[in-house]
Amino acid sequence: MAVERKVPSIIDNPMNFCPGCGHGIIIRLICECLEELGQDQNVIFAIGVGCSSNLGGGLVTDRLHCAHGRAGAVATGMKRVNPDNMVITYQGDGDAYSIGIAESFNAAYRNENITVITVNNTNFGMTGGQMSWTTMEGQKTTTSPHGRDCAVTGYPIRFPELVANEFRVAYAARGSVSSPARINALKGYIKNALEAQINKEGYSIVEVLSPCAVNWGMTPEEAMTHIEEDLTQYFPIGVFQDRRNQE
Amino acid sequence: MKEIVFAGFGGQGVLTSGLIISEIAVNRGDNATWIPSYGSAMRGGTANCTVKYGRETIYNPAQEEPNLLLAMNEPSFQMFINIVAPGGIVLVSDIVNCDLNVRDDVKVVKVPSSAISQELGNPKGANVVMTGAIVKLMGDFSKEEALAGMERMFSKKGKNRFAEANVKAFEAGYAAV
Amino acid sequence: MAEMMKGNIAIAEAAVRAGVRLYAGYPITPSTEIMEYLSGRLPEVGGAFIQAESELAGINMVIGGASCGVRALTASSGPGISLKQEGISILSDEELSAVVINVVRYGNGLGTLYSSQCDYNRETRGGGNGDYRCIVLCPSSIQEAVEQISLAYELAEKYRVVSVLMTEGALGQMMEPVDLPDFVEPKRNPWGFDGKYTYKKIGIFDRDSMKESVLLKEKYAAIKENEQRWESEGVEDADYVFVSYGLPGRSTLGAVRQLRDEGFRVGLIRPITAWPFPEKAFAEINPGVKGIITVEANATGQLVDDAALAIKKNSSANIPAYALTYVYGVPPIKSIKADFKKILNGEIREVY
Repeated sequence: MAVERKVPSIIDNPMNFCPGCGHGIIIRLICECLEELGQDQNVIFAIGVGCSSNLGGGLVTDRLHCAHGRAGAVATGMKRVNPDNMVITYQGDGDAYSIGIAESFNAAYRNENITVITVNNTNFGMTGGQMSWTTMEGQKTTTSPHGRDCAVTGYPIRFPELVANEFRVAYAARGSVSSPARINALKGYIKNALEAQINKEGYSIVEVLSPCAVNWGMTPEEAMTHIEEDLTQYFPIGVFQDRRNQE
Repeated sequence: MKEIVFAGFGGQGVLTSGLIISEIAVNRGDNATWIPSYGSAMRGGTANCTVKYGRETIYNPAQEEPNLLLAMNEPSFQMFINIVAPGGIVLVSDIVNCDLNVRDDVKVVKVPSSAISQELGNPKGANVVMTGAIVKLMGDFSKEEALAGMERMFSKKGKNRFAEANVKAFEAGYAAV
Repeated sequence: MAEMMKGNIAIAEAAVRAGVRLYAGYPITPSTEIMEYLSGRLPEVGGAFIQAESELAGINMVIGGASCGVRALTASSGPGISLKQEGISILSDEELSAVVINVVRYGNGLGTLYSSQCDYNRETRGGGNGDYRCIVLCPSSIQEAVEQISLAYELAEKYRVVSVLMTEGALGQMMEPVDLPDFVEPKRNPWGFDGKYTYKKIGIFDRDSMKESVLLKEKYAAIKENEQRWESEGVEDADYVFVSYGLPGRSTLGAVRQLRDEGFRVGLIRPITAWPFPEKAFAEINPGVKGIITVEANATGQLVDDAALAIKKNSSANIPAYALTYVYGVPPIKSIKADFKKILNGEIREVY
């Protein structure tokens, strides 16, 4: 018997993402998890600047559109005064790892009891595809037209691994939306991250490898293949810090 | 309205001395302001504060023209001797050994505050010795008023255990001028 | 009995009593005692204290607290407040209420540690990107400062803006007797986030800036109309009216009273709100006044622009506006009087 697939009520809104974008899948997973955990009427989002800004018009929840890169600090303020609300930042790689690296690092450093979701599509999508700190070596962007030269621009940053290795965070993982199996695994990561927050275990982060077909100059299918075949080689999928106090 | 500048090395307690005088004034119902110089050197540099007190409104809390300068070291004497009001008093400690006769319109008083505090077995109390001397020289407060104000300040700071030593130091300074 | 208290400490305790329950900030002289004090004090009353990794993070943490409807505070000085401008602009745009304390120190760039009024233009003009103003309160005594903390929140919440308490290094560092205000019950603003989406918002791409601008204009006009605050003395028959705020304002009052005793017909307007600037005070000035004189602790003269505009608004005569600028510190009464006489004999020329 066919079962009707219900859209979480807090995300049942049209949003203006490009064809082939991964954001829609990711935000839906977050909202499904919130609903399943009984937290969908108990959540505040701190939204980054970039493609994630589209959530400002999409989410039917408390949400604040933060200045570029500052969601880690804004979420900290929210959580400190509303410790019983779920506080989630939703940011892209440009927002969280370039302009917001200080706020991102320091929220993890303090082991702030928030959940950080970063959507890594290896470029600044909203502004038209510039190089970001996760752009792959050799990748052509509008500011690395000859391909990223890591000798002078640095190598792509692996943020979840960094905070898992250096700080005592509660949970750190990387997932992907590049296949149904990956999506199922990703949902598990997100749920763990949210549960860590519910249980006041501390900082949780899930980075998601997400396609940007338009700026990558690929079809949606090619973009998914690119994630699977190329990106996961540099950005491994998995859990880098598992929860310590799991029952 | 009276103005006093308290100056010395950091650690000599000049800021505390100023605080005692301001507290004495407030404790008896006067107005008072206390304003320190502040800056990058937390320790070992020169420190100074300016206290103004009186029945009237204190408009400007900042250093203008002190009626009394407490100089606990030579650099302080050099730095502030020229701003003392004509007819004012310059109170110097026994570690100030430079030429003190640089102005003929101010009265210079030397009190061996270090020697006195050493004798009392309270070597850190030179500032309180000088506070006693200042109260006497200014003539604005009775000794009883002054001791009451000082006691109130130290008890607010939770330093009652030094009360007896402070009273002795104060009285020695008061008697020294 | 009023107790001798250090300005920064008294202000910090007054903030606790005004119901502040989140402080986030970064140390900088001469404001640091405020955060030091609150680091111990706020947890005692169930509040949150966060030592932020930067000024920028500090103001963004304040945004987080303010968005949840809590009275949130940050304090800094000169260059630190420069870094906070992004956040102040965001707060203004989101119509979130918060209070920012600037314990002003002198200088451009890193500047110095001297007490000053050099940030007047920045505080009164908004400072960040966009088309907003902050309500700016400028106390001239510690007593006035502690009373202005709760006022700053009331105004910020009434108009959904940021209030700036613009003090001075010397006011933060000095001590004088102060009666602290009573405790108020901490409250949550009804528009604060509670996770249940009771406060509706629209997305950035769905906003109509043209429609919003009408309300924005009305709001700032209402603040200008309703919230001008000042103290004045002797302006009705004055030949010269001084304009000065904060500690220089207090010193100028002393100079004005002494000059009166010496037979000069002088008056004083002391702005208590730097924005909205107390233009209404200028309506009370003697129509035959010969000049307006600002007394300012900066180098270039900033207050004089507003004073000149205010006298223009209230008089058709071309009344000269002079600026006595003392760079930093608190100008001695003696200097103000001496410079006034230089204006009388033409040695100091008008700015406008």
